[in-house]
Amino acid sequence: MAPPAGGPVSPHAETQRSHKKSGKASASSAKGKSTGSWDDEDATREGMRHHSDMMLDGDSGDSDPEGLSHAAPLYSFSTLERQMTAIAPSPSEPECPDFTDLSAPHIESFNALFQMQGEQDDVGLLTYAIRDVGKRVFYDGFGVPQEDANAPPKSFTKGDAESRRAVLGNKLEIWFSDVRLSRPTLPDSSLSATPQLFPSECRERGVSYKGRMQVKVSWRINDGQLNEVWKEGGGVPVMIKSAKCNLHALPPTKLIQRHEDPTDLGAVFLVNGIERLIRLLIVPRRHHPTALIRPSFGKRGEKYTHYGVALRLVRRDESAQTITLHYLDDGAVTLRFSWRKQEYVVPVVLILRALEECSDRDLFEKIAGTPANRRGASKGAADPSAASDPLSTHTELLLRSWRDTPFSGRCRTRAECVRFLGERFHVMLGTDPGATDEEVGKEFLERVLVSGDSHGADTSERFEMLILAIQKLFLLASGLIAQDNPDSPANQELLLGGFLYGGILKEKLADWLDAIGLQVGVDKRLLKGKTPVNFEDAKYVTRLFGRPSADFGRKLEYFLATGNLVSNTGLDLPQTSGFTVVAERLNHLRYLSHFRSVHRGAFFAELKTTTVRKLVPEAWGFLCPVHTPDGAPCGLLNHLAHKCQVVTRWVDSSAVARGAAELGVRRATPLEPADPRVTVPVCLDGKVLGRVTPEHAQRVRDVLRFWKVTRQRGIPLDLELALVPLSDRGLMPGLFMFTSPARMVRPVRYLGLTRIDSNSGKRVPVGDENRSLDLIGTFEQVFMDVACLPRDVVPGVTTHIDYNPTDMLSVVANLTPFSDFNQSPRNMYQCQMGKQTMGTPVLNFGYRTDNKLYRLYTGQSPIVRPKLYDKYDIDSYPNGINAVVAVIAYTGYDMEDAMIICKGAHERGFGHGVIYKSEFVDLAVEAGGMRKGASTKAIPFHFGVSSNVPGAGKRGGVDAKVMNFLDQDGLPHIGTKLSDGDPYYAYVDETTGAVKVVRYKSLEDSYVDEVRLLGDETGKAPLTRVHIKLRIPRQPVIGDKFSSRHGQKGVCSQKYPQVDMPFSESGIVPDVIINPHAFPSRMTIGMFVESLAGKAGAMHGMAQDATPFVFGEEIDEESGQKVEKLSAADYFGDQLQKAGYNYHGNEPMYSGITGKEFKADIYIGVVYYQRLRHMVSDKYQVRTVGPVHNLTQQPVKGRKRAGGIRFGEMERDSLLAHGTSFLLQDRLMNCSDYSQSYICKTCGSILTPSPHPPSTMVTSRRERVTCGTCKSSKGIDTVAIPYVFRYLATELLAMNIKLTLDTKS
Amino acid sequence: MDHGTRRPQNEPILYVCGECGADNELKPKEPIRCTNCGYRIMYKKRTKRMVQFEAR
Repeated sequence: MAPPAGGPVSPHAETQRSHKKSGKASASSAKGKSTGSWDDEDATREGMRHHSDMMLDGDSGDSDPEGLSHAAPLYSFSTLERQMTAIAPSPSEPECPDFTDLSAPHIESFNALFQMQGEQDDVGLLTYAIRDVGKRVFYDGFGVPQEDANAPPKSFTKGDAESRRAVLGNKLEIWFSDVRLSRPTLPDSSLSATPQLFPSECRERGVSYKGRMQVKVSWRINDGQLNEVWKEGGGVPVMIKSAKCNLHALPPTKLIQRHEDPTDLGAVFLVNGIERLIRLLIVPRRHHPTALIRPSFGKRGEKYTHYGVALRLVRRDESAQTITLHYLDDGAVTLRFSWRKQEYVVPVVLILRALEECSDRDLFEKIAGTPANRRGASKGAADPSAASDPLSTHTELLLRSWRDTPFSGRCRTRAECVRFLGERFHVMLGTDPGATDEEVGKEFLERVLVSGDSHGADTSERFEMLILAIQKLFLLASGLIAQDNPDSPANQELLLGGFLYGGILKEKLADWLDAIGLQVGVDKRLLKGKTPVNFEDAKYVTRLFGRPSADFGRKLEYFLATGNLVSNTGLDLPQTSGFTVVAERLNHLRYLSHFRSVHRGAFFAELKTTTVRKLVPEAWGFLCPVHTPDGAPCGLLNHLAHKCQVVTRWVDSSAVARGAAELGVRRATPLEPADPRVTVPVCLDGKVLGRVTPEHAQRVRDVLRFWKVTRQRGIPLDLELALVPLSDRGLMPGLFMFTSPARMVRPVRYLGLTRIDSNSGKRVPVGDENRSLDLIGTFEQVFMDVACLPRDVVPGVTTHIDYNPTDMLSVVANLTPFSDFNQSPRNMYQCQMGKQTMGTPVLNFGYRTDNKLYRLYTGQSPIVRPKLYDKYDIDSYPNGINAVVAVIAYTGYDMEDAMIICKGAHERGFGHGVIYKSEFVDLAVEAGGMRKGASTKAIPFHFGVSSNVPGAGKRGGVDAKVMNFLDQDGLPHIGTKLSDGDPYYAYVDETTGAVKVVRYKSLEDSYVDEVRLLGDETGKAPLTRVHIKLRIPRQPVIGDKFSSRHGQKGVCSQKYPQVDMPFSESGIVPDVIINPHAFPSRMTIGMFVESLAGKAGAMHGMAQDATPFVFGEEIDEESGQKVEKLSAADYFGDQLQKAGYNYHGNEPMYSGITGKEFKADIYIGVVYYQRLRHMVSDKYQVRTVGPVHNLTQQPVKGRKRAGGIRFGEMERDSLLAHGTSFLLQDRLMNCSDYSQSYICKTCGSILTPSPHPPSTMVTSRRERVTCGTCKSSKGIDTVAIPYVFRYLATELLAMNIKLTLDTKS
Repeated sequence: MDHGTRRPQNEPILYVCGECGADNELKPKEPIRCTNCGYRIMYKKRTKRMVQFEAR
């Protein structure tokens, strides 16, 4: 009996085979391979094995000669192998590379800051960042002294060094020439055996894991000698397991030595001992003009229409700049960009002319093509006649509107345009005041129109890019093309944590340079005439550099700790907060999901429209359709499909350009028509390589694809080849190629390397078929023909096939067994609940100091598990228990999603768990107001129970009872049980000699699990900080929440005695009883199948494969083709029958109370149950008497403060409707703020009667009370009022409103 | 509630080094540093007193 093998193999065929082999039960296959039970190809790795079971023509597996030779493997629990790795972890290989690769995008993006993949040594993003930050130039203002101070400053010829110096004075040029980050080390003073600082220590001590940053500052005075100095940049938080971390590339044995979990994903930063992670964010795809139609564009100003083309340009250091082209109704086009959060608008013609020397005619031909040629082309083509050609019409309007621009007369040549730009943007850019307009103009073009590749790139490339964007805008405005969908992953890429981190660091570095300039300015104004500014003086320069804080690490730490982006430029991002999250270790699934989650951005969370949240078909294979939370973040917080990768390599794209050139793609010349119906653009990373006919573009695409997959001519596998075909009012056609990082890609199999054999009619491989792996991107996938299953392959059309249909699901979604049998929302719920389960969060419990850690004591390996469960080694982190579940309405305690737990199961440990709560006790904080990190010497406290201070007397010791809990060191015994009010720890106040005993305050009893004494990294500090970990046992109680893996949650309603539980004929008593009503409306058939499979697996002692899309029903398709798939019911039914059970999973059962057989057979099987973290002990809220609010005398709110639950308006309505208004009196008066008050019946006020002695409330009858206004005590009486009423009366009085009570009626 | 024998007041309390596992004796106001390896985190040992709870 074999579980279905990997891939889209027909289980039917497999079972047939095993039937033939032996009629015995599945135990017969125990002799088969015990490990590697199924072929799990890993397409992401090079040298991937060919998956022999993969079929291309939908032919059945049993005719496959290779398939037959496979011994039907038993799907084993691999218990022995697991034990071996536990006893002897690998000293070299990572334990589960598939799992640790899940965080690769994070770690690689961080590593890229220092070493980009595909760049030469020691060139990282930061290298480019400091290059882009560039030089700052400051002047001391000591020019040639002017005779008259009041005379206007002399003019100077910019660029002429002599005259510039005469006016502006001495020049100081300053820039960064290097940035270094070292791995975290301990100070020399620590006298530690190992100089490195490891994350586990930081975690235990609750400090940040930081490496030392150094920056090399270079400066030059008056273009003279080059000076350099290394400056400390402060401690910069380092990403764990990155190249700058001491755990980098350590094998499991070493990781365990360093107190780490051997399969830790890393990728987080430790900030004050808390693991924080930079979220993956969705950003628009770079270097691709996106056509947009937005009503808001029309509101930007006069003449503006709602047409626009946005272009996100990314520099070599991964910082971005978005420019938007707007179409104006007079035909003009403006270019909008934002710089330091300010928006600027420039006519696009001005930019074009500054980029390239061109006449009106040149421009016209660039955009619209030559009239002659178009005429020539129109002969054959459909007739894009000149008259109706939208491009030439629009271009003409564009050029005419430029004529009307006021300053167009000043901008005739390229030089004039550059100068004009320089003049206008000198202040905005803040460049060297001595620079000429021409220099500034060039810098403007360089900075704003970031070139796609690197600095100093060909300006004509940017010119062509703009031309393309303008063409797209015109086509959009004339309705010839559709707008792009910015919410589709096709037009998106990711912002990786490392890149963002580098971007912030870059900005902070730039800010420091600017701060130097400000400092020079301040110094210049200081002490008129006697300013200290003297660039020649080394002392002054040193002091100048020391002035602005260079602690870049602190700023980055703040960013990580809060997730707030403090930025002058905004980094081209729409949000300023929410960039980081805590990587919670609630359980393993929650933890790993953090690294796979992708957020759309905080901006979209507030949006009222729901279009951004929609699941689009373009997301197939990249974002999981199942794994998104329901509720507020639904569709905004997505998770990557488990096979989805993010490119973090920088490849040399020149090979692609060469390849394209070889295939006839040439730089566009004005002689080629620009009409998309005739020629389409071929772009590579935003650079226009040329224009070719649509058919030609397709050929180029196909050949490049072949070269790419077969790794010929240096075409990288990361190349994305998106061919948008010519269509009627569809997306703009063209061949758009990308090699840039941050794109989502996924592995699929390329079918171009197979051919159909003429003899057998089968598909046979051509050449090295192992290299049929292709990585496809989000944009190209839309225009590709990728089959999901072999039967989807259409000969001559399909070019690719998915490796597995489950590739589109995220890791967590893949762990739902038989998810293809469930109604889709149930799978979504399971993704949520899997992440709320009490399971095994970590393996290194003893070295964790998390605030709260949930742990399941008796976690089990599920009998029914999908293949990916083993691929990602989830077995090391069990998340639930295999429970015998009967579906029956029994006792009524299983109504409304409640479940009954058998007391016997409970006593055997079903669902038992524990919560570890941690607390850091800092005497510096106890000492009052002292900030963390303050000098420990100054703290006048120390832990202990007795003081040696003379004269302390009785205060200097503690009660003998306290010593039952505490040791002489003032800290609790390990293992002590603590109840509310018990001594927790004690410290001595050295000044008074008094001993302060701090008591345990919690309604829940706990046990002291660990006490950790924390030093500091100098190794000199005495004990002032302690970490105490408490263990709170949590066995399941009535009210705790459980769930199966099919979104079927329920609350334990009763722990039923085992004798009273129903039992089967073999004497099996269910662990859990659930109600049959949980199924009809929810349609979680997967749970039934799991129950069957679990029962059969338990009987045969084997794990069951629960991978979705393996089983099916026999379907006759329209084509008449018979798609044979074994049904799960038959497959597991057979197994059950062989074990002597009913084929359908039902069994006769007997009532535990009467002993009679039930009239119906009961569906009973084994289902994996999860215990959710929501427990009554954390939620119950009861109060009779307790604290009241000071002002209103009403009960306070909040469980923590022993408060009450609000009896609100709707509850009031309910009581009124029931006619039980006297209950209101009880709830709202007697149980709330009942009070008695004096009232003066004469004037009707409750405020005027004043008793002697004064008090607000009625105390005793004997007081003398007089009304202040009536001056008598005649009408004084007492009434019962709610206390807030008195408050209301007082508030009204303060507003000069009299409140009178009518006491007569 | 007094369980078992009380530790004599003068007996020093030993702590386990978090890195090398060596026993360390620490007096109040002494720096937290392992005499063996210089590590800066110490664990308190489990109490030798009888720990007994009411079994239910």
